[in-house]
Amino acid sequence: MLNYILRRLGAGLLLLAVVTAVTFWIFYVLPKWAGVTPRGMAAMYVGKAPTPEALDATVERLGLDQPVIVQFFDFIRSLVFGDQFQFGRETVECAAPCLGYSFTTNSPVLEQLLARLPITVSLALGAAVIWLIGGVAVGVLSAVKRGSVFDRLAMGTALVGVSLPIYFTGLLALAFIVHEWKVLPVPRYAPLTENPGAWFTAMLLPWITLAFLHAAQYARQTRAGMLEVLSEDYIRTARAKGLSERKVIFKHALRPALTPILTIFGLDLGLVLGGAILTEKVFSLKGVGAYAIDAIIGKDLPVVLGVTLLGAVFIVVCNLVVDLLYPLVDPRVRIAG
Amino acid sequence: MAPTEPVVRVDDLRVTFPTMDGDVQAVNGLSFEVPAGGALGIVGESGSGKSVTSLALMGLHRGSRARITGAIEVAGQDVVSATDRQLRAMRGNDIAMVFQDPMQSLHPQYTIGNQLVEAHRVHHPKTSKAQARNHAVGALDRVGIPDPANRINSYPHEFSGGMRQRVVIAMGLMCDPKVLLADEPTTALDVTVQARILDLLDELRRDLGMALILVSHDLAVVAGSVDEVVVMRHGVAVERGDVRTVLSAPEHPYTQALLAAVPRVEVSRAQRRAQDRSDRLDKEKREGTVTDPAKFEAFTPAPAGGEPLLKVEDVAQSFKVRGGVLGRSTDFWAVNGVSFDLYKGETLGIVGESGSGKSTLSRMIMRLLEPTRGRVVFEGQDITHMSERALRPLRRDVQMVFQNPYSSLNPRVTVGDAVGTALRVQGERDTKKIKLQVQELLERVGLQPNHYNRFPHAFSGGQRQRIAIARALILKPKLIICDEPVSALDVSTQDQVLRLLSELQDDFGLTYIFVAHDLAVVRQVSDRVAVMRKGEVVELGDSDAIYENPQSDYTRQLLTAAPLLDPDEARSQRAEREALRAEAARTA
Repeated sequence: MLNYILRRLGAGLLLLAVVTAVTFWIFYVLPKWAGVTPRGMAAMYVGKAPTPEALDATVERLGLDQPVIVQFFDFIRSLVFGDQFQFGRETVECAAPCLGYSFTTNSPVLEQLLARLPITVSLALGAAVIWLIGGVAVGVLSAVKRGSVFDRLAMGTALVGVSLPIYFTGLLALAFIVHEWKVLPVPRYAPLTENPGAWFTAMLLPWITLAFLHAAQYARQTRAGMLEVLSEDYIRTARAKGLSERKVIFKHALRPALTPILTIFGLDLGLVLGGAILTEKVFSLKGVGAYAIDAIIGKDLPVVLGVTLLGAVFIVVCNLVVDLLYPLVDPRVRIAG
Repeated sequence: MAPTEPVVRVDDLRVTFPTMDGDVQAVNGLSFEVPAGGALGIVGESGSGKSVTSLALMGLHRGSRARITGAIEVAGQDVVSATDRQLRAMRGNDIAMVFQDPMQSLHPQYTIGNQLVEAHRVHHPKTSKAQARNHAVGALDRVGIPDPANRINSYPHEFSGGMRQRVVIAMGLMCDPKVLLADEPTTALDVTVQARILDLLDELRRDLGMALILVSHDLAVVAGSVDEVVVMRHGVAVERGDVRTVLSAPEHPYTQALLAAVPRVEVSRAQRRAQDRSDRLDKEKREGTVTDPAKFEAFTPAPAGGEPLLKVEDVAQSFKVRGGVLGRSTDFWAVNGVSFDLYKGETLGIVGESGSGKSTLSRMIMRLLEPTRGRVVFEGQDITHMSERALRPLRRDVQMVFQNPYSSLNPRVTVGDAVGTALRVQGERDTKKIKLQVQELLERVGLQPNHYNRFPHAFSGGQRQRIAIARALILKPKLIICDEPVSALDVSTQDQVLRLLSELQDDFGLTYIFVAHDLAVVRQVSDRVAVMRKGEVVELGDSDAIYENPQSDYTRQLLTAAPLLDPDEARSQRAEREALRAEAARTA
């Protein structure tokens, strides 16, 4: 068991290292191949109409004229040990893990990310709870009442849910629930610690919109999984013992049906934690996803790199947690590890 | 216990499934009774309605589309009209069921203790968990699980197939039911394990006074364990009576045919051959059809003796098994040091239980696996480490027929293409010529030339195995390896396929390696037999000699485990097995 955990941990760290290397390569080496000179790179930092001296100083300061491998190790070093940056005569400390400085705001990327993280985490966790419980419940009910009106209605709705993009359902929800019917106030985000009520009302609609998309997929998956499990021999054994249908479904059928759901849940949660771009944009939430979009539009390379790495960390961590939970859920994995 | 009071009574049972093409009568007017403590065998081939009957006895047809009429009474409970609640109170409590596939019938994610305790507490909600657990340990002990107090915390995947079936039986015992219903309880198991499970069922029945209903496709399986037998065909009981009477003097032609088809371990190869040949002559005389071997000119019956066709010298195959700290792997020897010669026109039988290495051995001879050690020499040519390219011309000389005719044929390829592809692969370009050759061969294996354009799903299991045989024959191979070719088939179909193989050998002088776990089948087709166990050959020799005078303990053990058709012999053999086990327990 310890062996399994160690191996999973090692694999997770290795994956992060690979993602870091690939991301660096995309942001610093590809432009070079595309013909962008070190000065061209520096121009992005310096701002409008830079003097050649200022450009050279930036090239010098960021080491943009160094060989790629040196730049990469600099990047890794500042990630691990932190770094110092000079702005004019001012020296700014950038503590580890240092993701560098934003081109546009001249503030540390990490600080900016952390400031926006609570919004994204609130959105992701809230929505995940809703879609997991809602999706699984609908899926189980659909499978048990296969072919009924409920089943057809639920699967029809699920198909709609999977097909409609967030910016459609989100805008529709905003238009009717907030502006037309005024059921909810116009969402204005406030941190949970300051004003829980405002936090909740602001998050409710984004949660439901984001959860709807995922719940649809979970309902379909759960239904398919349940139907498969319900035809297994061990379900017949359970019935032959004289167990009630409730016991058969909730004790014997649900657990194996949920095992594959756990895997996709890990992936989905990791993805959403890395920034639900569309949802954040539609509901004007200033989370990590919205930050990423602004950075991409503004060609703010360090920020884009930082957001990518953060997303990778979330996905790796979520999958790691799933991998560690798996042997608890399915004992057959224990020996295989 | 009054033997006059039946604990199970079925009267004029009819089970109908509505389908797109009208109703299908799965069971049609079945009646039987089982007295308390009695034993009934229900025998029939696939599609005879025997499994539908056993599910109906448990009321497990509910929730499906099946329509049931007639009467089913289990321990005084009318199953047909009972409410769901009444049915649940009966299941597991009055009648417990043991299923066919022990690998699938236990929940993989709960410990067996959890599953056993649950089976008890559902009917005895007042029992504490600890009491139920003690009860479970007792039940596991009763069915012969060693160290039950610890093993109760294990998961199903930590047990072998035979042990799992014992766990399922223990689960059935948790509420001391009046009837134990076993639906093909040993079909998925090895011969020796099968014998032990049947012995266990018999012992439990005697000791606990339970009635036993044993459902099987194999008459020999039920022969030694039941008092009465019902033979079913197409949903109808064609014969019903005392097991001795039915087996010794069957009245219905179907029962007679079924009995004749059961391979008997006491019949020798020579007897069987003579029988097959005279049957064939009779048939040809009757129908005026004579198959002309000259049509398949390239098959020249080879003279016996001379150089062996195949020499296998001390071959071994190891696989890496992962595990241990830091994933260090250890070697597992699937086959370890097997040697034999095989001459033209001869059949070598390889018998062994699962895990004995018989399939690995045949894959090495095919060179689908490269032996870790040793040599394989085919027609004087060492093929042990030959490259894939160099092997290609040899591939036509050695062909294989696989176990499962349902999965070994591609469902999207027509029969004609499946058989003809090999010719194309070997360079034949003339489509008409290929078609003609394939059609001739289809006819020869007992199919119609117009089957050429059909897809496999249109054929039964036996017909599919004929297609597989045609596919193996099309390249006129020198050696055919049959890996469990009949074990997935019903008894009567099995008989037909065995006859076909024997006729083909007569006509074309084929050489076979026949791999199987069924001792009786192997005896009837083999000139020589190799008995394998744990990757090694424990005994190799003339088939009659091995069967009549086995030298190794393991062969003897296998032979006493082989099911016998004669109820009295089967019972005395059971006593013999019990004595052997008692002796083994004493010496250990």
